[in-house]
Amino acid sequence: MITAIWDQLKGLYSLIVGMIVTGRYFFAPQKTVHYPRKVVDPEDLAAYRGPLELTRGKDDESRTRCISCQMCAKGCPGNCIKVVKGTEGKLPSTWVYDFSLCCLCGACVEVCPASAIDFSHRLYLVVTSREELVMDLLADLKERVAANPLKPAPDVPAAAGQKAADAPSAGAAKNGEV
Amino acid sequence: MSNFSFLNPFGVLDEPGTYMGDFYSHNFSKKAKEGTVILNLGPQHPSTHGVLRVLVELYGEYVMRSEPVLGYLHRSHEKMAEHKTAYGFLPNMGRVDYLNAIGWNWAYAASCEQLAGIQVPERAEYLRVISAELNRISSHLVWWGAFVLDLGAFTPILYAFDDREDLCDILQRVTGSRLTMNYFRFGGVGADGDERFFRLIREFIPRMRERLKMYRALVTDNVILRRRLEGIGSMDADMCLRYGATGPILRAAGVRRDVRKAIPYGIYDRFDYEIPVADRCDNFGRYWVRVEEIEQSLRIVEQAVAQIPEGKHIVDKAPKPAWKIPAGESVFSVEGARGEISVHVISDGGKSPYRVKLRAPGFSNLALFAEAAEGTLLADAIATLGSLDLVIPEIDR
Repeated sequence: MITAIWDQLKGLYSLIVGMIVTGRYFFAPQKTVHYPRKVVDPEDLAAYRGPLELTRGKDDESRTRCISCQMCAKGCPGNCIKVVKGTEGKLPSTWVYDFSLCCLCGACVEVCPASAIDFSHRLYLVVTSREELVMDLLADLKERVAANPLKPAPDVPAAAGQKAADAPSAGAAKNGEV
Repeated sequence: MSNFSFLNPFGVLDEPGTYMGDFYSHNFSKKAKEGTVILNLGPQHPSTHGVLRVLVELYGEYVMRSEPVLGYLHRSHEKMAEHKTAYGFLPNMGRVDYLNAIGWNWAYAASCEQLAGIQVPERAEYLRVISAELNRISSHLVWWGAFVLDLGAFTPILYAFDDREDLCDILQRVTGSRLTMNYFRFGGVGADGDERFFRLIREFIPRMRERLKMYRALVTDNVILRRRLEGIGSMDADMCLRYGATGPILRAAGVRRDVRKAIPYGIYDRFDYEIPVADRCDNFGRYWVRVEEIEQSLRIVEQAVAQIPEGKHIVDKAPKPAWKIPAGESVFSVEGARGEISVHVISDGGKSPYRVKLRAPGFSNLALFAEAAEGTLLADAIATLGSLDLVIPEIDR
């Protein structure tokens, strides 16, 4: 009889402790990022691996740095890269990347001698068919250059430079100086 | 199906010679006793943590016999290794066990390094320890949430994922991904940790310690949880050794065996930490060992972050994707979140390894279930299954 009452009391105590903890967190700020209304802090995405993109050229930023050496295509475990050398010097004429086969391991990015490839941070990529996942990266580079012709600041502040370029007022002034 | 009855869904007991159900349930039901029900638990049942299928013979609410059926998530990773270059197989390691990707990364990379005689730089060793321990914490958190969810408490998994979110952010900083991490390279790691990476870890450690106190108040000390776990699902040391169980299951049976202490690999001998051991052998022992391991992993990470030297994160002239492993064979064991992970690489010096054997701890651990669950209530069998911390892709490979 006494043990039964004691058990009830212990159970009630457990319940109250649980309620206190849950109650405290009920009023704590939320961690969930409610996507369409909010987006992830770009700083957190600095190392995020999205689909590949071609980096801009050193001298002529509208051109790719790719020298069609095929190192990435050979090193890729999923065979998702197809590079065809064009007629104009070493520049590629086709650079097709199948994102549906890519496992984002980074072998291509690490092996590239010209650092022509990098991971984009496109977190919110949505497609409606598989064919759309086969991307023509040369066309993608052209589009990006057309949208933002000025070269982002080199190397370390690259991410910051890109962010500044997206911001309308302050970014424009900064890019103007470059 | 004229004589179909709910109590005898396969009809095998009524009509000898009829073949109903599939191969496994047919053979399993051959030994069924009078008045029992054969039930398929899974492969889609949520409390089997993936696509494990367990055949159970029930007498009322009691489990008389059970038999796990595997193979629903078999992706032939071992065969893939024979067709990829050694480097090309690295991303697979993140997919074998999705909760403990870094542990598998380490086992495979170190096995190949051992064969090729590659020395890993000091800083890379520290980054390996930090990422592996953070990954262990995140794995234990998912297990903790899912296990308590199995027992019927919904809220804790939300807290567990809240903390895991921080860990994902930290690990994403260096590995680039949040789940199937491919961080290790032959001769080092893929990327160096930056200032923000170490700042996030330093912020995470005290916060996690506070949360562990909250976990204790909310779950560990809860009367209902204690009654569900204490004295149920006994797996003693003898049984663990017979089946080859490793990791928290073995340590909960009172055997002080942890690869980090038994065969110190990397730089684990430099840190001050303890191996939690319980000699309760029951579900609560396994629960307690894992929750204690979170605290010990935090200690290791804290020391590693304080001691990390400057330097390179990967050796000069690190192996390229077309690298061939020199001929020979090597085995390397690491302590994963679920137990001892061993990778055995045999190479004939060709383009891809001749054979890669992956020793998954979950496979041996699952073997204990049938014996431990015998004679328990079905709900307690589910608790026992949860306490084994099963990750089905790892078991099937």
